[in-house]
Amino acid sequence: MPREGLHCQVITPERIVVDERADFVALPLYDGELGVLPGRAPLVGRLGFGELRLRRGEEIKRYYVDGGFVQIKRDTVTLLTAKAVPAHELDVRALENELAQPLAPAATAEARERQQAQRERQRAMLRVAQKQQI
Amino acid sequence: MPKLRHLVLRRKAIQNIRKITRTMELIATARFKRALDRAVEAEAYTRKIAELAADLSAATLPASAGHTLQHLLLEKREPVRSSLLLVICSNRGLCGGYNSAILRVATERMQQYEQSGVRLYLELSGKRAIAYFRYHGVPSEAQYTHFEDKPRFEEVEVLANRYLDGYLTRRYDQVEVAYMKFLSASRQTPVVETLLPLSTIAPPVRRPGWGTSATSPIAEPTPASLARSTSVVSSTIEYEFLPDPRSILEELLPMSLKVRLFKCFLDAAVSEQIARRIAMKQATDNATEMIRVITRQYNRARQAHITKEILEVLSGAEALK
Repeated sequence: MPREGLHCQVITPERIVVDERADFVALPLYDGELGVLPGRAPLVGRLGFGELRLRRGEEIKRYYVDGGFVQIKRDTVTLLTAKAVPAHELDVRALENELAQPLAPAATAEARERQQAQRERQRAMLRVAQKQQI
Repeated sequence: MPKLRHLVLRRKAIQNIRKITRTMELIATARFKRALDRAVEAEAYTRKIAELAADLSAATLPASAGHTLQHLLLEKREPVRSSLLLVICSNRGLCGGYNSAILRVATERMQQYEQSGVRLYLELSGKRAIAYFRYHGVPSEAQYTHFEDKPRFEEVEVLANRYLDGYLTRRYDQVEVAYMKFLSASRQTPVVETLLPLSTIAPPVRRPGWGTSATSPIAEPTPASLARSTSVVSSTIEYEFLPDPRSILEELLPMSLKVRLFKCFLDAAVSEQIARRIAMKQATDNATEMIRVITRQYNRARQAHITKEILEVLSGAEALK
């Protein structure tokens, strides 16, 4: 198989967000970041929330992805995620405001857990967004 | 001449109505195309999820026929004591028998529940459904009017999460959706589909070219037909699983449900636009026909009027001689 880089697809339930070639893909797995180079062994994994980076030559594209699954097969990286936002479209100020608000008291342990998860998501989103600014 | 005037006014009114219905037809056509494009785009995700599910079940259940996977979302509960029914109608009318067809199957299902003593939680989407059940005095749990012709996944996800919660806490033993299923551009059927428990791991995948072909057979939403659709891809690739196939699969199930629900909404949006287009086309045709008839009546009446006046003049001249 010719090694011409990776083919990367990001698919949300609504549409195909990314469908392009890349030299290197870094994606957020549930327990940390995973870098993918051409020729990687087939893999199926659970995504966490965080930053997805696509590098092609000198150009780096960054997205925020929100959980889901990844499938790597024959140099094709497919990400299935509920949400994928290009990093430059994230609104830093809105996120900061939201994080500055105190959490409403949660009634049950589950609700509390959900709130925490939501917070973690927002923080991750903010991290991706702020990195862009620097 | 009151009669002539009357005919002119009537014709004018019909012409105006025809203008409106024709415009609505054009709008519905454009919206239908957009909705269909969205539905086709969403298909990519469904197909991939189905592929993943096939890969995963091949890895978790080696050499065992059928899915023996035990999961709360896959288990059928017997007997069903309570059920949630979501009725998806449109917000606006003027779309022929679209809403009434859905309401009919929904009402039938509700009667079945009543006979078997199942406790019903009713949820409604669309003003038409809300008005209908209010008129019949049926209480509902929740009402939504924000699903228009472009349902968003985030909005649908909220609903899906609530249903999952309700199902896992055993508030509902079953979750069903009544909506207009889109089979092809020329065929849509109102159906009541069971969302939970899930009949298969993967969401059903449509045959390629489904949007355009008018010859696709009616696919009844039986478990058999749904099971068939899971066996789409069986790959022999040995995957590395992170963390492990089982837990990925468990994560996949709720996602599969959400996609299914999302698809219901997309189908409903497409079907609504088709129904409206057809209804408005018929209305335009009827208006054209009516204008023709009235124009003829008007011409006859005018001719009779002229003839009568000539006769009057003639007989007046005759009398003067």
